[in-house]
Amino acid sequence: MNLISERLDIEEYEEAIELFYSKGWTDGLPVVLPTPRRVEALIAHVGREPQESLGPVPPKGGPATIEKLAVNAVMGGCRPEHFPVVLAAMEALMDPAHNLNGVSQTTHMCVSLIIVNGPIARELNFNSRDGVFGNGYRANAAVGRAVRLALWNLGGATPWDTDKATLSHPGEYAFCIAEEEEDNPWAPLHVDRGCPPGSDAVTVFACEGPHSVFCYGTPEEMLHVLADSMCSLGNNNMHVMGQMLVTLNPINAEEFHRRGWSKEDVRQYLWEHARRPIGDVRACGVVHEQFRKMEQDAGRYPLRYDLVNPTTRVPVTREPKDIHMVVAGGRSYFASVLPGWGGFGGFAVTRQIRRPGGR
Amino acid sequence: MEFLSPVWSSAMEGSSAKRRLRGLAGATVAIVDDNLDIPFTTRLEVLLAERAGATVRRLVKPSGTAPSPPALIDDAAQADVAVVGIGL
Repeated sequence: MNLISERLDIEEYEEAIELFYSKGWTDGLPVVLPTPRRVEALIAHVGREPQESLGPVPPKGGPATIEKLAVNAVMGGCRPEHFPVVLAAMEALMDPAHNLNGVSQTTHMCVSLIIVNGPIARELNFNSRDGVFGNGYRANAAVGRAVRLALWNLGGATPWDTDKATLSHPGEYAFCIAEEEEDNPWAPLHVDRGCPPGSDAVTVFACEGPHSVFCYGTPEEMLHVLADSMCSLGNNNMHVMGQMLVTLNPINAEEFHRRGWSKEDVRQYLWEHARRPIGDVRACGVVHEQFRKMEQDAGRYPLRYDLVNPTTRVPVTREPKDIHMVVAGGRSYFASVLPGWGGFGGFAVTRQIRRPGGR
Repeated sequence: MEFLSPVWSSAMEGSSAKRRLRGLAGATVAIVDDNLDIPFTTRLEVLLAERAGATVRRLVKPSGTAPSPPALIDDAAQADVAVVGIGL
């Protein structure tokens, strides 16, 4: 196999681990050492040309070749069968609609979440249930970290240089979940977004970490607390809209379904009720106002609202479809809300996963 | 043991800077306006012209949070000095 990466020959395991630190090639955690044999196994699994590039990774523009992505995927802990998911996630991230350049460099804390859908999620043991945003599952951790390491090493998005996040969040190490599709009465996210039922896909969406929502009871009670949690004045959506993610646990979804609420009904209700009077929003200050004006000038903030009247209630997204909904987590009391970057970017992009052999 | 490097060495190298000017009087200064704070940027534009004697060219990005279009970058590169970011 024609691999062109620089080769390092080091005798001692400890010395090799430390070399990756000293070169700045790791995110702060130790890596799996990318031996040619491991890297070749990933590339052979997907059957793609090692020097095929998915494009330049912003902000610094290192080409995302299959070879370099495989090196970073090995470092993140991926096995060959994880690699098609990594490639689909990278393709989604590099779609201009996601504005990865902005996501990687903004002062906001958003990080691109990877959501895995389809039979591949169960086959590879991605977690979609208890502790879905947490630790304990190799597939979530390895795919999530592989992508982050690719952005680190190929894009050069490091916190002492181009990554200007004021706070960021722990998802910078790995931020990957799967949707629960079996214990779920509704169509999954990727089907909502146009993929065929039964297909495998990833969706990326740049967002804050999950905010807990104590959500249990009748549909009306659940919607009441969800809507309130979504329209906090601290999130960007309240000022400049954009997109937002809501996760419901399987009991939440089951209860909505049992009482005749479709996912679209829930989405529409949340869009209509997760609102604040513009007077409240304005009270946050002139800088917030300036950002809103910039979005208006760019045509991303709708003109249909009377912003002069302080009682006008404004939503958190431009349209209901900009509230993404995923069923995930254990059967319990909690849902979550993940605000986005606002109207500036980080928007959801979905890509089907190309399985080896075209399945 | 043999390992493969995860980076592109050439891609991570920065491009070289232009020669530093002795002063701004008579120089052409490009302001890449990120469209985030128009009054602030307008004030900077006026100060550079009136106080420093520069010829200012203000290049407005369509969005403050997306990359500059290549034509705008090429345009800014023609100036003696380019202001490409302002921290508040």
